Amino acid sequence: MKTWLTYHVQALRLVLSRFLNNKLSTFLICLSIGVTLALPATAYLILDNLNGLVSNIKSESKLSVFLQANHDDATVKKIEAQLKQNPAIRNVVFVSKEEALAQLKAVDANKSLLDSLSNNPLPDAFFIEPKALDAESIESLKNEISKIDRVETVLVDGAWIKRLNYLLQLGQKALLLLTSLLGFALIMVIGNTIRMQVLTQQAEIELSQLIGATTSFIRRPFLYLGALYGLGGGILAALITWLIIVLLNQTVTQLAASYKADFKLLVHHSLAPLVLLLIASLIGLVAAYFSVQPVTKKA
Amino acid sequence: MIVFDNVTKRYPASGDAISQASFSIEAGELVYVTGHSGAGKSTLLKLMASIERPTTGTVLINNQNVNKLKESTLPYIRRKFGLVFQDHKLLYDRNCFQNVALPLAINGITGSDAAKRIRAALDKVGLLNREKCMPITLSGGEQQRLAIARAVVSKPAILIADEPTGNLDKVYAADIVALFKAFQQVGVTVIIATHDALGQASQENKVLHLNQGRLSIQTEVMI
Repeated sequence: MKTWLTYHVQALRLVLSRFLNNKLSTFLICLSIGVTLALPATAYLILDNLNGLVSNIKSESKLSVFLQANHDDATVKKIEAQLKQNPAIRNVVFVSKEEALAQLKAVDANKSLLDSLSNNPLPDAFFIEPKALDAESIESLKNEISKIDRVETVLVDGAWIKRLNYLLQLGQKALLLLTSLLGFALIMVIGNTIRMQVLTQQAEIELSQLIGATTSFIRRPFLYLGALYGLGGGILAALITWLIIVLLNQTVTQLAASYKADFKLLVHHSLAPLVLLLIASLIGLVAAYFSVQPVTKKA
Repeated sequence: MIVFDNVTKRYPASGDAISQASFSIEAGELVYVTGHSGAGKSTLLKLMASIERPTTGTVLINNQNVNKLKESTLPYIRRKFGLVFQDHKLLYDRNCFQNVALPLAINGITGSDAAKRIRAALDKVGLLNREKCMPITLSGGEQQRLAIARAVVSKPAILIADEPTGNLDKVYAADIVALFKAFQQVGVTVIIATHDALGQASQENKVLHLNQGRLSIQTEVMI
């Protein structure tokens, strides 16, 4: 156990001292990794924020259920009870035709027009907030409610939300593709860097193999090297992303203010930067493993 | 300690480097391997040090059959040997101290414990005051001695040297041979390959003579 720890401390020390000896080139490698990672990280952040915005709007989306004109209070009570029992419904609000008329009259522009009417043309209505917001469950809920006795029509608000959702899904898919492509690119970049390191230490590696170094002994410093490149790149990527957000937010808040909204780009998951570092280190580790593999096989 | 039984090593391109060699080396012996360049001396040493495996026949190191060992356990066998290479194989980007430190690092020994042993090894070969020097600044003889210090720092039971006096003048060569004898005196098995005429040494020690891969054991100890 102690020897095992010694081996790791030894490898880590070796790698860190090499970093210190080549500060500039280490920084440049980390920077190239950081820039590559910052791109998907920023894209993810913007998508995540848009998603949050849309789900806010989505929760305001409603089904409007209009009743037939001739019915009594008991029927209304019955339908209301029925809707309230439906497990797919989060909230039900009843608006009687009198209330609806009063609401309309509250807007000055409508007043003269509505006063000219002899009787109330509006139906009684329920406004329903469904639990599930995807297109399918809303559709099935709509069908279900339409079958209730005395229900005239059921309207679903906001087909545009559906479209927006599809757009966001498209964005997420594009992001996933971009991330995997850049991930590959990163593995190549780090892998190549490590291969160069392996080449400059060819003599040492061969000698070590001759005098009894195990494969893992030879591989270990390179794995640390890869992981640390990844980690350094991850830290720089986090910084770059943060900088981008700060810059974008100056404009985003102005834009939101013009819509009388209070919105800016935020990191919603406090663990997100940590995940970024973890992924970056992992990519470095994998890249290092594959680029040092052919050398250790040659023993 | 080392037993060869009917060992043949064949390289695909160049045929048999060693054919049907049988001999044994006891603990604490000083053995010379002689023969012309290309006679198979280096191959024989590599077979002893478990760097190469025999094509046929068996090589026993401390009663372990090298042929039957798994690839992953070979490194541990190799650590029993101290190797002095024909081309030194010093690392020119590290100073003397760091060069000698490598075998210890491979064994997981670092820190002050390692430093003590490294200085002891450098002291033994007379390079203690040069520990901060880079190998390139050392003379040929000093580089050879540095390679020996690296070979003995982990206190191996068997010391194998390939042409250790090859490029040295007579005075230096005598120094190096004396150094090896000193190791033998403290119980280390020493195996030296050389193409030099042995003279007096051939009467005192076992000599494995190679001629185009064929082995003849010239002299048994005659005292």
